[in-house]
Amino acid sequence: MGKITRRPTKPLQVNPFRLTQPMGAALAFLGIDRCMPLMHGGMGCTSFTKVFLTRHFCEPIAIQTTAVTDVTAVLDGGDGSIVEAVANITKKVTPSLIGLHSTGLTETKGDDLRGVATQVDYPLVYVHSTDYEGGLESGWGKTTKALIEQLVEPTSRTRTDKVVLLPHVSLTPIEVEKVKDFIALFGFEVHALPDLSTSLDGHLGEKQSALSNGGISVETIKGLADAALVISVGASMQPSAAALLKKNSEIRHRHCAHLQGLEATDQLVATLLEANGREKPPASVIRWRKRLQDAMLDSHFSLGQTRVLLVGEPDFLAGAGQVLSEAGTKITLAAATVDSPQLDTIPADEVMVGDLEDAEARQANYDLIVGNYHTEALAHRCNKGLVLRGYPNWEIVGNQLKNDLLYEGGAYFLCEVANAAETMRAAPH
Amino acid sequence: MAQKPKIRELLDESACAHNKNKKSACNAPTPGATTGGCAFEGAQISLFPYADAAHLVHGPMTCVGASWETRLTHTRWPGRDLTQMGFTTGISTNDVVFGGEEKLRQAIDYIVKHYAPEAVFVYSTCVTAMIGDDIDAVCRQAEQTHGIPMVPVHAPGFVGSKNLGSRLAGEAVLTHLIGTREPENTTPFDINLIGEYNVTGDMWQYTPLLEELGIRVLSTLSGDGRVANIRSAHRANLNVLVCAKSLISLPRKMQERYDIPFISVSFYGKRDTSASILAIATALGDAELIERTKKLIAREEDILDKKLAPYRKVFQGKKAVLNTGGNKSWSIASALQDLGLEVVATSVKKATEADKEKAREYLGEKGILMTNPGQEQAKIIDETGAHLLLAGGRSLFTAIKKKIAFADVNQEKKKSYGGYGGLINLAEDLKNSLQNPVFNNVARRAPWEK
Ligand code: SF4
Repeated sequence: MGKITRRPTKPLQVNPFRLTQPMGAALAFLGIDRCMPLMHGGMGCTSFTKVFLTRHFCEPIAIQTTAVTDVTAVLDGGDGSIVEAVANITKKVTPSLIGLHSTGLTETKGDDLRGVATQVDYPLVYVHSTDYEGGLESGWGKTTKALIEQLVEPTSRTRTDKVVLLPHVSLTPIEVEKVKDFIALFGFEVHALPDLSTSLDGHLGEKQSALSNGGISVETIKGLADAALVISVGASMQPSAAALLKKNSEIRHRHCAHLQGLEATDQLVATLLEANGREKPPASVIRWRKRLQDAMLDSHFSLGQTRVLLVGEPDFLAGAGQVLSEAGTKITLAAATVDSPQLDTIPADEVMVGDLEDAEARQANYDLIVGNYHTEALAHRCNKGLVLRGYPNWEIVGNQLKNDLLYEGGAYFLCEVANAAETMRAAPH
Repeated sequence: MAQKPKIRELLDESACAHNKNKKSACNAPTPGATTGGCAFEGAQISLFPYADAAHLVHGPMTCVGASWETRLTHTRWPGRDLTQMGFTTGISTNDVVFGGEEKLRQAIDYIVKHYAPEAVFVYSTCVTAMIGDDIDAVCRQAEQTHGIPMVPVHAPGFVGSKNLGSRLAGEAVLTHLIGTREPENTTPFDINLIGEYNVTGDMWQYTPLLEELGIRVLSTLSGDGRVANIRSAHRANLNVLVCAKSLISLPRKMQERYDIPFISVSFYGKRDTSASILAIATALGDAELIERTKKLIAREEDILDKKLAPYRKVFQGKKAVLNTGGNKSWSIASALQDLGLEVVATSVKKATEADKEKAREYLGEKGILMTNPGQEQAKIIDETGAHLLLAGGRSLFTAIKKKIAFADVNQEKKKSYGGYGGLINLAEDLKNSLQNPVFNNVARRAPWEK
């Protein structure tokens, strides 16, 4: 491992790519069927989040705000606007759950969400998600943990065929579906929490309801504790797995730092084989493993001469870094949104928490960028190759259908990056 | 908490039409039933297009993290386009506890050193306003240190809506920039464009025509704007407010203070564009200029009509239903009519009385004004035999069910629909929508559906 810088070194951020905890929380709530995420703060935070996610997913996004004003901010402890917001929401729609999450403003005031939750006579899960700490990934992780703590019913029974999957925020809807299907191939019934694969996967829905549409149901969440196995993906999801084990100590927990590349997928397969007691995985899995091996060899020549800058959430960096470096890509710089234990596992020469100005200052060190929409201008300015991944991704249609995971996604991903590297090298500078 | 008296005054600003009846009620959003951006966003929209200035957002990451590089406000500023950059103090728990002023001071120093902007706009946001950071004092000091304007913008989100934020932004410009510099020269036909942000280059559709007429755009707030120019805005002969009621207090105050008259215009559609150019010439009051202008308008309309002729054939007899909000309910309708489409219905949900009147005027007696478009539009499509639905993404399924073409009015537009030239872009896009078989094709029943 190379050098790791864990905190920004400047008094400001220039061209930031860090996103916030409230947004991560809202997104997690959108992975629950017929949920209404309710952001507790000024109306602007909600509006920005809504517009941001609408553009990212090309889908209408359900989310509401408690619309705290300078007057209510001073006068009340937060309960007034929350209670009023719940009343106004439920006047018009009947959500299965209200997902209350805070912002910097209401955390600065010190609003007592828990106290308010007891006053509200409606199914509600609350989470403290200030935006002056953490980021998208931790907001999503904290919300998952809150959902488990506040909804899942404790039990001591387990069903041997039931698996809970806890995916980190950077997995696209189709990636969540691919992992679910993969686990199901081994004979398990699998539930993802949160589950964007059936809500924000870009399907044409009959009804454009004012609530989230698809995702895991509240009933299913309540019954998650009888799973035999919980698989957490990404360091940000470890605390959620721990919370589930508290509901039933009989559950076995398997943690995956990520699910990208040959080695990580092999480990998942080994876990699943151990759990189902079979010798071999299904034929399609074996076939895809061979295709990934082939893709690694086909792409290694191009990737072996490519120096890459990775930009994104820590859990994403670990996975993308691993699959690329397995084929010989040199990850010269990984720029992370926030600090995380995951930073230690990223196979890069340098890992830093910072902004795109910092990344630009090191432009001599890389040829190609794998990162979000904001890296596009950087790539243009500095003549770098570009593969768009992460939040936000406003430029390409179909980003929710991009799968980079497991044997299959790894094969596609390596080919895509290698092709982008060749296009870049062929372009006249 | 630092309570800025100015905010309270502006809340009572009579420019807000609702205010006549219920004091400041229009500024209090309803918890759980609110859409729309905050005051900070309004200020950002109004000021960010100054590409030669740095825009430093003093707050946690939410405010700018999700919003920078989202607006296509083009500029010809030859230096680095600072509009397309995000600057934020990105305050942390530590700053919340101990105050963020020192960090802000350092951030300003950093920006001046590395990017040499013509000015720095400093935006307060909810958290930094709440903890009482004195951005006025920091700006005053920094201005002395660095010798360029430092403009504090007091529009934290929790004071109200986007509109209020735009007003507050105008206030900041009036207080700190306008009148602080004399222009190199003046002409009798100097104007300021207020509220034109040059999104997708809209402004450039008509400014060459103004130039040709000898009308000089002395400054803008803030499309393709320059700090140096807005500082001289007090020497203009006319303020032209472009499609932006939220900024009306600025030209009015400039009228009081500098005796500059103002007019309101819109450059959307042929009729509005012609009327607006003529209105500017008329307000400038020079008979010869007015004559020149009439000739130019006739010439431009003629060119446009020739270019639109092939499209008119496509649009002949085609009917459109329009479901959008605010002034778009009539301004888009007017543009559609200019193209030869018949607008059979438009939405007036949440529209002001003035917008409703305008909509009625454009659509005529037979036109349907929908008060609940979500419910009504499907039926109206059936009854009128409409061919095209222009609405937000939520209505897409209605169009598919009815097997008619759909155009997303809220989609982030990438090309300009403004002025005469923009009408050709609009015509091309609508033609493509109408002729695209996709809406019919996706409506195909699955083999397992009865
Ligand atoms: S409401 Fe306040 S915290 Fe939220 S985006 Fe607006 S200014 Fe920022």
